Amino acid sequence: MTHPLLELAERRTVLLDGAMGTMLMARGLAVGMAPEIWNVERPDLVREVHAAYFAAGADVVSTNSFGGTPLKLAAHGLEGRAYELNHAAARLAREAAPPGRFVAGSVGPTGKFLRPHGPCSEQDLEAAFADQVRGLAAGGVDLVLIETQYDLREALAAVRGARSVASLPIFVTMTFNDTPRGFFTLMGDTPARAAGELERAGAAAFGANCTLAADRMAACVRACRGAIGLPLVAQANAGRPVAGEDGRVTYSQTLEDYVRHVPDIVRAGASFVGGCCGTDPSFIRAMAGIVGKEAP
Amino acid sequence: MTESELYPRMSEAIVAGDRAAAAALARDAVRQGLDLLEVVDKGYVPGIQKVGVLWEQGEYFLPELISSAEAMKAAMAVIDPELTKRNLGSRPGGRVVIGTVEGDIHDIGKNLVASMLQAGGFDVHDLGADVKLERFIDKAEEVGAGMICLSALLTTTMTNQRRLIGMLRDRGLRGKYKVLVGGAPASRKWAEEIGADGYAENAVAAVKLAKSLAAGA
Repeated sequence: MTHPLLELAERRTVLLDGAMGTMLMARGLAVGMAPEIWNVERPDLVREVHAAYFAAGADVVSTNSFGGTPLKLAAHGLEGRAYELNHAAARLAREAAPPGRFVAGSVGPTGKFLRPHGPCSEQDLEAAFADQVRGLAAGGVDLVLIETQYDLREALAAVRGARSVASLPIFVTMTFNDTPRGFFTLMGDTPARAAGELERAGAAAFGANCTLAADRMAACVRACRGAIGLPLVAQANAGRPVAGEDGRVTYSQTLEDYVRHVPDIVRAGASFVGGCCGTDPSFIRAMAGIVGKEAP
Repeated sequence: MTESELYPRMSEAIVAGDRAAAAALARDAVRQGLDLLEVVDKGYVPGIQKVGVLWEQGEYFLPELISSAEAMKAAMAVIDPELTKRNLGSRPGGRVVIGTVEGDIHDIGKNLVASMLQAGGFDVHDLGADVKLERFIDKAEEVGAGMICLSALLTTTMTNQRRLIGMLRDRGLRGKYKVLVGGAPASRKWAEEIGADGYAENAVAAVKLAKSLAAGA
């Protein structure tokens, strides 16, 4: 049986949401705080962000759980609350979702390296991801979005961890750098290699997010395209962060400059498009007008 | 083995990220009573320089960079105590205090820069992540550092790089230290705006920058 979200992607381009952390900071989340703690301390504000993305036209929003593995939460002394915080993250997005829209459980990297470069074994990471996904699944997510991965081995561990506790579709996005020799992850894997291995591991969709600005995302999608038959995901940054004199940070790509690349990203083969750093509901609203016109 | 045989092997061990070989060759050099400063300069440093070139060409990625820095560390763990015994300074680059600024727990990039600086001949004092700004200054004063390196991954914490420079000014210490900034949201323009002494895009560039600043200081 095909998942309703994958069915939708066969009919038309599916719209994801944009940045979460900066939206929470705009609502008062203090620097240095784990955003996930707001799932229980300020649930109204988290729900409000999800609602804003749905109102802008997003078909899918991602839960406020990017740093929700116990390994990442440990930096804030919250490792013992992983289930609770992820469960709450899922529930808030669910509550904000109108009928027929979807909730993706956001799973970011642990920030730890695998041996020999770091302290963790693949089993350590798998267990951490399983802990997180258990909470997300129980809270009612429709799919798991393993995102912003820079190490293919970690992404594979995340897929295994997620599959060990939930039978939801798993989407994986990795972050690629644009080098003179092509697109590579931090660890040196190409989109083609990563896509192929993740497809074999059971991912339902694969793609790229973060780092790349909208103008380079289509090329990266094309690099993924040839390698696999899976639907593709693309969530570009709005350029690079620029700090103003007053200490406020903006992004180098304006809304207009960002969205003019969206048709090309869709034509390159992305079935799921959304934003990443520097984007907000206004970007998603503008993209909604564009992807509605683009055939999948 | 003669020097002319040892040096290329030392360089190769670093390029290959072979810790065991790098350390074994260092022990050979010590046993033979070679000039250890020259061993570092002509044996190991060319290796780490080659690694930098391979990284810039997109041939090497983070795993290779880490392995090479680890191999360099293994060699220096043998050589440093010997140099101390012979009363020779092993760290011509000078002392560096490095850390990720307060409010920011990201340390992958910072760790890599710290390793590469150490591999590049600097005496590195790594304060870790989420470091209170006062601690950077206190540590730099305590160890007599010439350089303070500030990492930030978040757009919300990069402003702490600016704050630290302000604090140095307030304490009348700005001229005493070179301040280098890095991290995903930082840029050359940002460094100029906040009055930092330099910005580097990656760990390899950071070593180059630190060396040129140390040489000019």
